[in-house]
Amino acid sequence: MAHLWPIGGGKGGSGKSFLTSSLGRLSAELGKKTLVIDLDLGSANLHTLVGVPYPQKGLSDFIRKKISRLEDAVVETPQANLFLISGAHDNFDIANLPYEQKIKTLRAITKLKYERILLDLGAGTSFNTLDFFLISQNGIFITTPEPTSVENVYRLIRAIYFRRIRYCFNASQFKALESETDRQFGNGAMNKPIYMMKMIAKTDVEKYRQLQEEFGAYRFKLVINQVRKHDNTALGLQMSRMMERHLGLHVEFAGNVAYDDHVHDAICQQVCFLERYSYTKTAGDLREVGKQVVHATGRQLMLHYM
Amino acid sequence: MQKGFDQLTYYEMLDIRPDAAPFEVRHAYNAALSMYQPGALASYSFFSEEERQEILSLIETAYRTLISDQARREYDEELIRRGELDVRPEAPPPPKKTAPCFDISRAPVVKAVFNPLPDYRDRIRQSELIGGILAKGELRGADLKQIRTELGVAVEQIAKETKIRRDHLLNMEEDRIARLPATVFLKGFVKSYLKCLCVEPVEELSARYMKTVSSRSPS
Repeated sequence: MAHLWPIGGGKGGSGKSFLTSSLGRLSAELGKKTLVIDLDLGSANLHTLVGVPYPQKGLSDFIRKKISRLEDAVVETPQANLFLISGAHDNFDIANLPYEQKIKTLRAITKLKYERILLDLGAGTSFNTLDFFLISQNGIFITTPEPTSVENVYRLIRAIYFRRIRYCFNASQFKALESETDRQFGNGAMNKPIYMMKMIAKTDVEKYRQLQEEFGAYRFKLVINQVRKHDNTALGLQMSRMMERHLGLHVEFAGNVAYDDHVHDAICQQVCFLERYSYTKTAGDLREVGKQVVHATGRQLMLHYM
Repeated sequence: MQKGFDQLTYYEMLDIRPDAAPFEVRHAYNAALSMYQPGALASYSFFSEEERQEILSLIETAYRTLISDQARREYDEELIRRGELDVRPEAPPPPKKTAPCFDISRAPVVKAVFNPLPDYRDRIRQSELIGGILAKGELRGADLKQIRTELGVAVEQIAKETKIRRDHLLNMEEDRIARLPATVFLKGFVKSYLKCLCVEPVEELSARYMKTVSSRSPS
């Protein structure tokens, strides 16, 4: 079974696609059959980063039923062992993927025969992003050491948390739960997962236990990208402690990735950063992060909620 | 969901063990401040303004309690009463004694104690063997050894008295010509050797010994 790693980060420009392409390449270099999927629907970029500027087919062909099986939408990249499902040249309404299409895509992804599958998710906290993230118990959050980015990644994590709670209930139940929480803990409490969980603990012990187990099983990782020299290197550890303490979510800090202008150069020249500038600190950091992903062999539960 | 922040013990709030030393408490307090204070990046947007104030005041109280010996003891007792802290902290261990920097064994080294050598002049005069040796035209190392054994003196005793290394003395006595020290030193060594055993006349005998050695050396 494939190891699925969704990569998300809330804010745009924090390096999700770059990290996906780098990790994919590192994994492929180790001989793992690796697939990267561009799920940044509507603003796809991954194909450029993995060296396929004009992919002949992609995810949209599968969604528009031009291709019946998702395997056939895969294109090869110049790198051996690395494959791509591109999101390029899709139609303009793909960003609002209907629910059935999304479920169909999710199912198809879990059936793909690859050793590692990396999902490059879009910015923001749209349902698509959240659902694609919840496909796996693994996942990588990426942020830069800036308040804007930190705020968005916290927001994304909370949104995922809520989405997971939401799956356990049908619409009317959830509505009732929200209003009950609001009534008991005061205004605005329904936006806080702690109060929500407290409420569930009171009303439905069985569901509460199940959710606790579920959240305890998540093995998310946090990467701090674009770390400049004077930045606080302990930020990642602090954030991971914050989430463990106040959200009860285990988010492991996977490492800092140094800021380097050469990344910009490599993307502009459309060459692989890890290849062209393999002796920079940034490349070393990426390899460190890559080790944790490539060698991960943890339990992999998928689509447990469908 | 686990306990809310306000339900944690002060130790849990600061993320330290109940037996943490004061400097650890201070360190943990600084670490907590760097996470929770208003400008901190790690908690940016995580809390509302009121929540942050609440957490900061809790941390402040925790620090003030744990850093003061008196208040901490009272708090520990309260925790034990509530059953949240099961082990009563033991009395502090007795103050440590200073330890030596280097692991040097202080036990006295067992050494043979020699008495200062007595005057052997009378015995030399009486001994026929020594008289015979001294009457010969040459003086070898073996002869020196014979004199020494006749007087019943150990090599170590001579080495101690003259401060000449034992292996030099042995080389001289065994006539290992190639191993002997340079001539200047050898001359001095022989004189000391003879003086130490009270064999006279020193000057003449040492010159005789040197002559014997140089005649036997290959060069």
